[in-house]
Amino acid sequence: MVYGVRKDRGFERGIVKTLYFDNAATSWPKPKSTLKSMSSFFLKGGGNPGRSGHGRSIGAARIVVQTRELLARLLNVRDSSRIVFTKNATEALNIAIYGLAEERGHIVTSSMEHNSVMRPFTDLQTRGREVSVVKADSSGTVSADDVARELKKNTSLVVLTHASNVTGAVNDIAAIGRICRERGVPLLIDAAQSAGCVPIDVQAMCVDFLAFSGHKGLLGPQGTGGLYIGDERLNEPLMRGGTGSLSDREEQPDFFPDRFESGTLNVIGITGLGAGVEYVLNRGVSNIAAYDAGLMQLFLRELCKDRRYRLYGPCIEHGAHPERSEPGTHNGDSPVRQTGVLSMNIEGQSPSRVGQLLDRDYGIQTRIGLHCAPSAHRTIGTFPDGTVRLSWGLFTTERDVRQVLRALHAIAEKESP
Amino acid sequence: MSRRSKHIDLRTLEGVITFFGSHHAIRAEGVLKRQEISAVLIPGPREISPNCGVAVRFDFNRREEVRALLQEHMVHFEDIHHYPEC
Repeated sequence: MVYGVRKDRGFERGIVKTLYFDNAATSWPKPKSTLKSMSSFFLKGGGNPGRSGHGRSIGAARIVVQTRELLARLLNVRDSSRIVFTKNATEALNIAIYGLAEERGHIVTSSMEHNSVMRPFTDLQTRGREVSVVKADSSGTVSADDVARELKKNTSLVVLTHASNVTGAVNDIAAIGRICRERGVPLLIDAAQSAGCVPIDVQAMCVDFLAFSGHKGLLGPQGTGGLYIGDERLNEPLMRGGTGSLSDREEQPDFFPDRFESGTLNVIGITGLGAGVEYVLNRGVSNIAAYDAGLMQLFLRELCKDRRYRLYGPCIEHGAHPERSEPGTHNGDSPVRQTGVLSMNIEGQSPSRVGQLLDRDYGIQTRIGLHCAPSAHRTIGTFPDGTVRLSWGLFTTERDVRQVLRALHAIAEKESP
Repeated sequence: MSRRSKHIDLRTLEGVITFFGSHHAIRAEGVLKRQEISAVLIPGPREISPNCGVAVRFDFNRREEVRALLQEHMVHFEDIHHYPEC
């Protein structure tokens, strides 16, 4: 069945394409190079890296190293062996959180975190860790001063999202990183929503650990992600097993990346991830941020002034107005404050109803509800119903945005109580 | 294994760098080649490379230069051996 973009209600089959506005869940489509690289590995490559000395194994190892090097360039990591691959950002966050949360220690996070942070925190609290949650403002942004106020002598970890998956709010990680570095507290950043869309420099931002997803802004396939491990305070892997190295010994290696990579890697996935990262680097992350901001402007210009819509996020909350300034504008010098994510509701209508109509009648694919971040929705005042979340990417066009706007207006008009 | 690899006669490369893991072996090859130092990935000889399946063969006469380069580029190696091809 193929959904189509429709002018009238009722369902027609076999028409053209959907409009994909759920890139915060997973990016789609991927660049052709992602598929091509994976297909080439499948047909001509194969091989298990680091296990054997023959050409096929070495070929696989080369691809994995190349992908690590590309990620190191993207994040400004000096030693690429410090980037370990995981199956997703959730696994990466779990490795870091459980590895760094000391017994009887104090751990800090924010009220905007995804469940991949909140659920480990809730679990650790039941196991005796003291937990502090820094409240974000109504746009979803966390203040560096508020984080500083929570730090204590026994604080062993601060975990913060770089960009919210609900409002797109981008935190000032450099300011928070400087504070944590001065106080000697490890800082773990959840870059699931920001890697590839917001410039990241782990050195300049004083980031000690960073978890990323491979299948969102980095344009790789699902089943990929990773963790940058910046210093020795994280030493405990989640798994132990075969690494291809030190085969004569039954202790887990203590060198990188092997210590944190047991078992066969998702090599075909990492191949695609490498192609995606290369595509991002060639386009330029700042250019991608500017592109996302441009589409945000299209939405805000039309929706901000219309009382039927309730919008959430820094561009709306911080007083930016389409006529007075350019909300969401990004150039190379100014910091990025918001990603290409817009949470919204239509007055008097449930987000689930709006999302269903967008999908059924217009082929517009969004995510509705709480987005695995109930705390974030409590922070912005949309719990328990949540929001309709529109999230675009590099392959979303202005024409797509205009079609979404027409659909929203039609729903707001026809479905108004 | 062929004595010739990409027009390089391996018999002229009497040095072997061994590693703990393949990540650094691959990186070493890249670092040296970019500096136009002949470097060839080889199956790690069992007697000197029990820890990792791949090693790098290179010109042993340039070992000090190679050692400095690898350290500069954060390539972690186990040891540098004089191990001529038989």
